[in-house]
Amino acid sequence: MIVLETNYSKKLGLPGYSSHQFSITLKTEIADLAQVQTESNRLYQLLQQSVDASIKEVGFLPTEVPIQNRNGNGNGNGHHNGNDTWECSDKQKALILKIVEEHKLDKKEIEALAQDRFGKGVKALNKLEASQIIEILLQEHSDNNKGNGRRFGSRYQKAGAK
Amino acid sequence: MIAVLDPVQVAARPEPNPTEELQKTVSASRLNCWLQCRLKFFFRYVLQLPRPPSAAMFVGSIAHQVLQQWNHGRWRKEPFQTEKFKAWFDSQWTEEQKTSKIKWDDDQADERASAWKTLEHYFLETPIKADERPEAVEVPVEADLSHHGLPRLIGILDLVRAGGTIVDFKVTGKTPDPEQAIHQHEIQLSCYGVLYRDATSRKEAGLELHHLVRTKTPKLIVTRIGPITQQQETRLFKVMESYVDGVGRQDFVPSPSFGCAGCEYFTECRRWS
Ligand code: SF4
Repeated sequence: MIVLETNYSKKLGLPGYSSHQFSITLKTEIADLAQVQTESNRLYQLLQQSVDASIKEVGFLPTEVPIQNRNGNGNGNGHHNGNDTWECSDKQKALILKIVEEHKLDKKEIEALAQDRFGKGVKALNKLEASQIIEILLQEHSDNNKGNGRRFGSRYQKAGAK
Repeated sequence: MIAVLDPVQVAARPEPNPTEELQKTVSASRLNCWLQCRLKFFFRYVLQLPRPPSAAMFVGSIAHQVLQQWNHGRWRKEPFQTEKFKAWFDSQWTEEQKTSKIKWDDDQADERASAWKTLEHYFLETPIKADERPEAVEVPVEADLSHHGLPRLIGILDLVRAGGTIVDFKVTGKTPDPEQAIHQHEIQLSCYGVLYRDATSRKEAGLELHHLVRTKTPKLIVTRIGPITQQQETRLFKVMESYVDGVGRQDFVPSPSFGCAGCEYFTECRRWS
């Protein structure tokens, strides 16, 4: 009696830097060696079809799917290697620091604002969040922008402001 | 092709925008204007001819300001008070009216009353809960698309709802057809999707158009679409490519159509050759 043990395994990359894999192992008996090639081909087809049918179901996926590698977007600092790195663009980082310095703002207050609005510190803000914080700071601290007029005026007066 | 204007007009206008600059940065408004009529684009963005303010633009601007106040208020966890927004609406209307040069077709008081009624209706009918905190409000964003060989894309997102749904507010006099609305605003919505993804490294949950309809009995039409698709992104990028090419060639020709009835450059257009 000859025992043929076959295994087929497949690993697939998924969004959100995740992956999943599935394998099937099958043992079968064959009567003589002449059947090995034929039987092995048949089992390969069978296992592959079975694995493929199952692996299509991706199951749980992380909800926040990174669209692209941040290093690749040309704007962000792109480093995730310590507390001194900022997630927003260099331009945004420079602007936030400039506003803080020019208006002698308390960094703790800015930190508290970021925490309140986004549940994270200033350095961890992405580009959208950093832009929002800049807008709020400019509205609150620019002499020409008392109240709420900054963007409203431009929306109305400037063609294509959006 | 180069557009030629009457010398009197040319003398009165501000410095033209170099086309090289216009090729470097695009927005949904620029692309839409380009697609609508390239000569109109030339008047608006190259020659920068002043755009006479219209009643619709004025009302839209004030309504957006009130909605922005409301969105920020929820973010600050302030209780909703209609009177506060009404007072703000009134003072802003009065203030901006002092400097505007709008020719009101109808009675201005009627326009004002109808604008407020539409906002009041929105607050009653909006799908956004009073305690839903936004993810962003009236936030400017930009995306460097040079890795696609495309210009920088800029835009302002009216509202990003908790969970990543992008909302654009439209104040209109006509009830929109949802399918047409999605088609007509495809470029804008696709721009917002691309901008959001670039700024957050996340896919948007979806997009919503909130049409505040200023009919006798105000209406709110909310049109929802899912995240922008690969096909929509490709269509947008192709439009951007065609824009860059066309602006580079100075292909500023008129596109006479039904849309000309509302064109602010009709007189200049008739002089063009
Ligand atoms: S009148 Fe019509 S063709 Fe002329 S610039 Fe305006 S939209 Fe274009």
